[in-house]
This record gives sequence, C-alpha cells and structure tokens, in this order.
Amino acid sequence: MSWWSKLLSLPWLMMICAALLVLIGALALYSASEGAWSPWAEQHLIRAGIGAVLMLVMGFLPLRWISRMAPLALLAGILVLLALPFIGTGSGATRWISLGPLNLQPSEPIKVALVLVLAKYFASRTWDQFDSFMTYLPALVLVAVPVALVLMQPDLGTALMMGIGGLSMLFLAGLPRRWIVLGLIAGLASLPLAWSQLYDYQKARVLTFLNPGQDALGAGYQITQSKIALGSGGLFGKGFLMGSQSQLDYLPEKQTDFVFTMIGEEFGLIGNLAVLLIYFVMMGSVLFVGIRCENRFGRLLCGGLSMMLFLYVFVNVAMVTGLMPVVGAPLPLISYGGTAMLTVFLALGLTMNVSLNLDKDDTQII
Amino acid sequence: MAKRRKEIRDVETRLTRRMFLLGGGQLVLGTVLAGRLYQLQIAQGDTYQKLSDRNQFDTRLVPAPRGRVLDRKQRLLVGNSEVFELNIIPARIGDLRQLLGQVARLVTLSDEDITRVLEEVAAKPEFVEITIRSDLTQRELSRLAVRSPALPGVVFQKGFRRLYPQGSLFSHIAGYVSPVTAAEVDEDRLLRRLPGLQTGKVGLEKAQEQALRGEIGVQRLEVNALGKPVRLLNDRLARSGKDIQLTIDLDLQSYAAKRLQQGNSEAVPVSDPAVQRALSRDAQLRSHFASGDQLVLRNSKGVLTPPESGAAMVMDVETGAVRAMVSLPGFDPNQFAGRLRERDWQRLNQHPRTPLLKRTIAGLYSPGSTFKMAVLAAALEAGVVTSKTQYFCNGHFEFGDRKFYCWREGGHGAVNGRQAIAQSCDVYFYQVALKTGINRIHALASRLGLGDISGLGLPGEKIGILPTREWKMARRGTVWTPGETVIAGIGQGFVLATPAQLAVMAARIANGKKQVTARLLESDLDAGEAFAPLGINAGILNEIRRSMRLVMAGALGTARNYDLTESQMAGKTGTVQVKRISKAQREEGIIDNLDRPWKERDHALFVGYAPYKKPRYAVSVVVEHGGSGSSMAAPIARDLLDFALRGDRA
Repeated sequence: MSWWSKLLSLPWLMMICAALLVLIGALALYSASEGAWSPWAEQHLIRAGIGAVLMLVMGFLPLRWISRMAPLALLAGILVLLALPFIGTGSGATRWISLGPLNLQPSEPIKVALVLVLAKYFASRTWDQFDSFMTYLPALVLVAVPVALVLMQPDLGTALMMGIGGLSMLFLAGLPRRWIVLGLIAGLASLPLAWSQLYDYQKARVLTFLNPGQDALGAGYQITQSKIALGSGGLFGKGFLMGSQSQLDYLPEKQTDFVFTMIGEEFGLIGNLAVLLIYFVMMGSVLFVGIRCENRFGRLLCGGLSMMLFLYVFVNVAMVTGLMPVVGAPLPLISYGGTAMLTVFLALGLTMNVSLNLDKDDTQII
Repeated sequence: MAKRRKEIRDVETRLTRRMFLLGGGQLVLGTVLAGRLYQLQIAQGDTYQKLSDRNQFDTRLVPAPRGRVLDRKQRLLVGNSEVFELNIIPARIGDLRQLLGQVARLVTLSDEDITRVLEEVAAKPEFVEITIRSDLTQRELSRLAVRSPALPGVVFQKGFRRLYPQGSLFSHIAGYVSPVTAAEVDEDRLLRRLPGLQTGKVGLEKAQEQALRGEIGVQRLEVNALGKPVRLLNDRLARSGKDIQLTIDLDLQSYAAKRLQQGNSEAVPVSDPAVQRALSRDAQLRSHFASGDQLVLRNSKGVLTPPESGAAMVMDVETGAVRAMVSLPGFDPNQFAGRLRERDWQRLNQHPRTPLLKRTIAGLYSPGSTFKMAVLAAALEAGVVTSKTQYFCNGHFEFGDRKFYCWREGGHGAVNGRQAIAQSCDVYFYQVALKTGINRIHALASRLGLGDISGLGLPGEKIGILPTREWKMARRGTVWTPGETVIAGIGQGFVLATPAQLAVMAARIANGKKQVTARLLESDLDAGEAFAPLGINAGILNEIRRSMRLVMAGALGTARNYDLTESQMAGKTGTVQVKRISKAQREEGIIDNLDRPWKERDHALFVGYAPYKKPRYAVSVVVEHGGSGSSMAAPIARDLLDFALRGDRA
C-alpha cells in the first residue's frame, strides 16, 4: 500500500469525533471551574495531547507485535491488580497506583488487554471448534480472573463493564444460542447470592437507585441533584457558565462522573443529544472498521473495543440520568480523569492499526 | 470438502451477523438513553426547573468575617460589626419594579439605590442574589420580617460591615474596603456569589487582602417535597480571615496625630462664639471643619486657622518597627465601608488639602536641609573635604551667572562641616556638593534609603527622586548642569523624598551598621530577615551624628531650644522654600511666613533620633507650609520622641 492510500484508509471520522469530544470536554471543564482554564480544562487538553501521541504509536506498531505482547500485558495487569491492596491508594477502595505525579487506575487499560487477548485466542481457534463449549471455557476464565480482582477492590462499576465487555467477546466469537440462554438464566438465579456479597454502601446505592426519594439527603442526593440539573436544562439549556446547579456546587463530581449532567444543564437536550451522537458515530466507525476487516483478529478486536466504548458511555449516562445505580464511571474524553481517556486513545490506536491491516490473513498477524 | 468450506463460511457469517447485532443493540440502548433524556428534560422539565429554583433559593453563602487589625499591644484598630443585608433573588421575582416599590414602603430606598439594583439585575445571572440595602436598621428589619411572606424573592442575610473604630487615625495605614469591582470578579469568580462582600482597595486592606478575607461558607437548607425545611447543612464552614498585628503603638499614633495637627497653635473650643462666627464667614475653614476632625486652631497672631497638614513617622532604629505613622489630613474609612454617599465623596474631593493622599509614603517633598547629612557624608567619603575643611559664608554663593543665597542674610562666616550642619549653612553645602558631584551624593544617599521604597509593604508607595546625571539624561533628555548639583546640595531642585524615607534615613544614621527598613507588621519582625550592612565608614557616621547633636545642643544650633529634657537627641531641621523669592522681594526684606498666604509658606521638616548615645527611635516630621523647620517641626519631633521614650520607661 502506498503511504497515500494508507493515509486515506485511516478511520478519520473516528478521530474527528474523538477530537470533538475532547474539545467539548475542555469547554465543560472550563465551566466546571466557573470559567477558568485551571485546574481542569488545561490539564485535560494536555492529557488529550499525550493520548493522541499514544494513539499514533499504537496505530503504527506492527500488529503482529502487539498481538504477541497482549498476553504479557494482561498478565502484568493481573499481577498489578493482585498487588494493589499493598501498593495502591484511594479512599475506601484501593483502585489507584501512584507513579510519581501520575495516578493510574490499572483496571482501565486491562480492559483493552483483555479484549486483545480474547481476540487473539478466538482468532487462533480452527473453524470446527466454535460449536464446542470447551472452546469458550478458557475465555470465560480469562474474563473471570480480572473481573474477580476488580470486584475485590471493590469497584463494582468497572467489574461490571469488564465482565459485560468480555462476555460480549464470547458472543461475537459465536457462542451457541443455547449457551447464551442458559447463561442468562444462571445469571438471574445467582442474583440473590451476588446481593449477599455486596458491601453495605453498594447495597445502599442499589436501594437508593430503586427509590431515590426515600433518602434524598443521603445516598440519593447525587442522583436527585443530577436529575434536577438535567431536567432544569430543558431543550436548550441555561447557557454556558449559567448552570445554577453546577455553578452553585449542588452538583457533586461535576468535573468527573457528572460532567454529562453539567452539559445537560447548560446546553439542554440539544447539547446532550449532540454529545451522544458523536459518541455513537465514533463507536460505529470502530465497529465499521471491524466489519470491513478480513481477518478474525481485527474483526473481534474492533467489535470488542466498540463494545468497551459503548459501555463507558452507556453506564455513565444511564447513571447520571437515574437509569442505573451510581457506580462511579467516567465519561471518557470529556470527564476529567486521565486513565479512562488514555484507555480510549489506546483503543482508538488499535482500531487505526486494524484499519491499516484490513486485508491481511490471521496467520500474518497472530 | 465443499461442506467444510460452507461451515467455515458459516462461522464467518455468524461473526459478521453478531457484529451487526451488537451494533444494533448499542443503537437500541442509545435510543433508550435519548428517550430518558427527553423524559427528564422535556416531559418533566418544568418540574425539575422548579426544583432547581428551590435549590438556589435555599443555598446560602455565609460571609466570613474579615481578619482584624490590631496594634502592637493587641488593641483593636480595624474590626467588624454585624449588619443585616436585604437581598433579592431576581429569578424568584415576577415584576421587579413593583416589588421594589413594595419594599420602598417598608425601608428607605433612594432613587439611586433603585437604579443601581436595576442595573445589577440586568448585568448578573438571575439566580445570583443582589443586595438592595446592606445596613438595615432594627426597625426596618422588624417591619420587613412581618411582611416577608408577601414578598417572595426577598431575603435577609446577616453580614459583616468593616468597622474602623479609630476613625481617621489609621486611614492611611489601614486603607478601606468597598464592594467588589467587576475586574476583581473576572479574576476570582467566587466573589460574585456574595453580594455584600467587600474587598480591600487601599492600604493594608488591599496589601493583605488574601490573609484578611477568610473563606466564604456554604449553607444549605434542605427541603422535603412539600417545601418544608428539613435541616440545615453546613457544606462548608465560613472561616474568618487572619488577624494582623501591627508594630504601631495606638497611644503614640494618636498622640502624634494630635500633636502634628496642632502645630504651634492653640486649639479653640468649637463652642467659642468667635469660632462660630469664623465658620459661618469663612468657607475655606468650613470645608476643613466639615470633613476632618472637627478642630479649629488659633495661631500666634490670633488668627483662626484649620489644623496643620503633613506627616510624621516614628520607628525603631534596630528592628525598623514603625511605632507611629501619621498623615494629615485623614479621612474616615467608615464612609467607604458602607455605601459611600455622594456628599461624602464630594467633600473628600473638594477638601483643600487632599485627605486621600497617603503623605507618609506617597507625599513627595524636597528634603531641604535634612538632605545635608547625605551630602556631607558623601563629601567625607569622597575625600573632597575633611572634618576641618572650612568654607567662608558671606550670605551667598555666586556660580556662573547665578547667585545662590544662604538662608541667613549676613552669612555664617567661616564654617566647617559640623558647624555647617548645626547652623544649616547653605553656602558651605553649595560648594561641597559641587566638589563631590551628584553621582557620589546619589551613591551615599541611596545607602541611607533615599530613592528606594521603605519596606512597609503598603500599596502606592512612591520612591521619590534621587537624581544622577544618567537619570536626568534618561528622563529629561538634557545634560546635568553643575548648577543643579549646587541646588541639590541643600536638598532642593530635583531631589524629592517621602516622610517614610526620611525616617528610614534617620534610623540608618542612628543605627550605623545596618540598612534598616521600615516594618509595619509584627510578623515581619518575627521573620527576622537580616538587614544588609549599611556600608558607610564609622568615622564618617560619627562625624554626622556629632553634627546632628550640635543642631540640638550647639550654641548656634538651629534647634537649640528643643532638646529633650530627660535625655539627649540628635536631629536636623529643614525649611523648604516652595516659591522662588524674587530679587525685588529679597531687597524689600523677606515677609514673615505667617503673613504670607498659606500656600506660599515654607514647608517645615525635621529628622532626628533619640537617645543620642544609645539610639532607640528615629523620627521624621513634615509640616506642610508650616513655616520653619526649627520652630515648627523640631518641637513636634521632640515631643514624639519624648512620648515614645516615656512609653518605654513606663
């Protein structure tokens, strides 16, 4: 391929969407600090710059090399998760490791490593193995281990996203329908057991979710205020820097998990839908790269990454609109928080890489 | 074989199909989100809008009391009093004009207030509270409280008003606070949230704004679905600002102000019929009386006059601690702390003697003869004279085509440096300055603190002018002429200094070792920052100090009548001409100061320190158009030193 046609075949739409989201994020953070570039907006743009570089690096590394390294990366990630109770930081839950000035949440990049490893695993199976449950069992274990470790931190939101993301890879690979049905039934049946395993504050969040009015001043506070802020935004919003809920500090975590709410208060339904649209166009273009791809590895990879992006957005928006319990999930590229943003750039870089290797054979990659 | 290929294709199509399924599932869930947003923002938008309004209504920002300012003995110089503010929240008000009309029937509201409120409402987001009045009286408060259910959108808030219990006495040190300006809000958006907030605009209030301000608290009144208050949450407690302790001594400060104000005249009781008559006749006198401390003096010629204006400063020669710092006339900073009334502002502006000028740090005066120590020291350092070198003074010095006069018509005869300082002989200094050259004088005087800020840390301090050849070339674009050196030799011409600089100069001469700077905050003293070495030869300083002692104690010393009684002091008088004396006037005989219009009288200056042997305090006094350094400024300086030393002994 000439460099020109290479350049043309890059997923430009995806990258434009990412850039738009970063800019929207910077504006929202500018508003969150009451019209100031510090402390958030400026840092946000710097991180996005670093992320873009990371994306280009991931985009142009040999794909073969990446697929070789993936298991190692996953293993390293699992080791870090194991060590986290001893080296981690965080209030209440140990989710973070400090690397000098950087605070990293290792569970985020592990999602990408997991998708890579699963794609590699399924791509290296032969065609006759896809109807046997034994093909899917090792994959299930691969998903279960990091999910269990993240649950123990405890970080329900990330564990849920990682678990659903991993299971959706099994679904893509071709898990027979009867197993899907059985799995759903088993999942529902084990709900009471899962409930008993939850921590008190997690139970409280779920209960609050089911009936937010009951405790409007305690656990339901965040979600009530978030709904008020969103709802009072109306169709066009109250205007940039004019969101009273956000500007008067009613809205908690307005620069991180509740940034979507703030956009809703200041720019209304129009603003919210525009943001959602951009996200969905971005996910769609990731998925589209996969659909055009001729090797299983690339197809599975893009499918998994698109699902990962979707889960971020869905969980966050469902949470701030009161459709889901508050679990602590960022809105990547917009909310303030480096790890999720870098993880997304990692995913975009991998998609780019696949788009440059559309017509390769699996044997050339794995 | 064909079957196998078909099965392979099956696996591939299953993957493709499931990718589309996945994408489709994402779209469906995405649509659910969009639907949910529609439900919240459009279908139930009005409900949430109301809830949002109630939220705003029930959040209260709690003002933090500003830090106090205390004197060195912890006496209150600047504090706070509690006031009640009347605020409105435009978002909750239907017809603003109608509401203001209703409110005006209950409390006093001027047309000015109403215009201002309307302007503010138009300029700010409608959920931000706006102050209608910031100083409700008890009666107004109770009248409003009764009607408040009928006045939606009207709220009261307890606030703090800055209180300056010492009135004008600390006006130029403390400065004042006034409502937040638009420029400040641009810098710190938090400020717009508290309508009654005031920030320091001048003086310490401005310089120490960050320390004094404290942190605004946030309170939230939680309401249940029926709108009943459930509980009060302190989201963030208000934290009051830090207190600031000054090195100033309140007793000395108030004595200094009184003493300087009175000069050599006698205070006349206001009830005196002569005063009443004078006030009704003399608009000039009335304008002083109306806005300053209400004082009328009778001078030695029996004429009723306004109080003196000028500046005085007393500081510790070792630590630099300022014990008193007075600038007259002052103003009452309490006027600014409320809403400054138009009438008060006009009075301040029309006052004949610029009460807003911080004379101690921003009043620029020719130092006159008080500059002669620097000239003599520079000459000794340069070696152009020794302590024995004499010049003959016959009353004037001819240089080129100009004739420079000595203040004493007949001249001083042959004088050496010590005598020249003691008798303030101008002719000696014309010649010595010429020999030394302006740049060497500059080099020495800057070590004495002239031409540099004094270290008080107050905004708006001026550095004066301590000229060099290069300075003139840069500022005026012309070459320095020797005649300008001659006139600089007696501290006139280009040379300008502030009273604070003059006090620092006296303190450094007295200290002899270090470049003491003026310190206003007790915490700066504790910081123990070392002063730079003075860098003037001890022998030279000794010579200067002896000369300054002779001013007080010599048989011909210009301040021989004003030495301390219980101790000894050293000093130097300065009498600065403000109007050139024409040849004709000189021949007719110079008119006595008190017979000239006030504006044409000489400035009276004095710098000094005491005790002579073991210096403790340095002083500078400037009496504007006070007549003569000896008879006007010297006795004031003596009394201030005396008061300070007595205070130490007590």
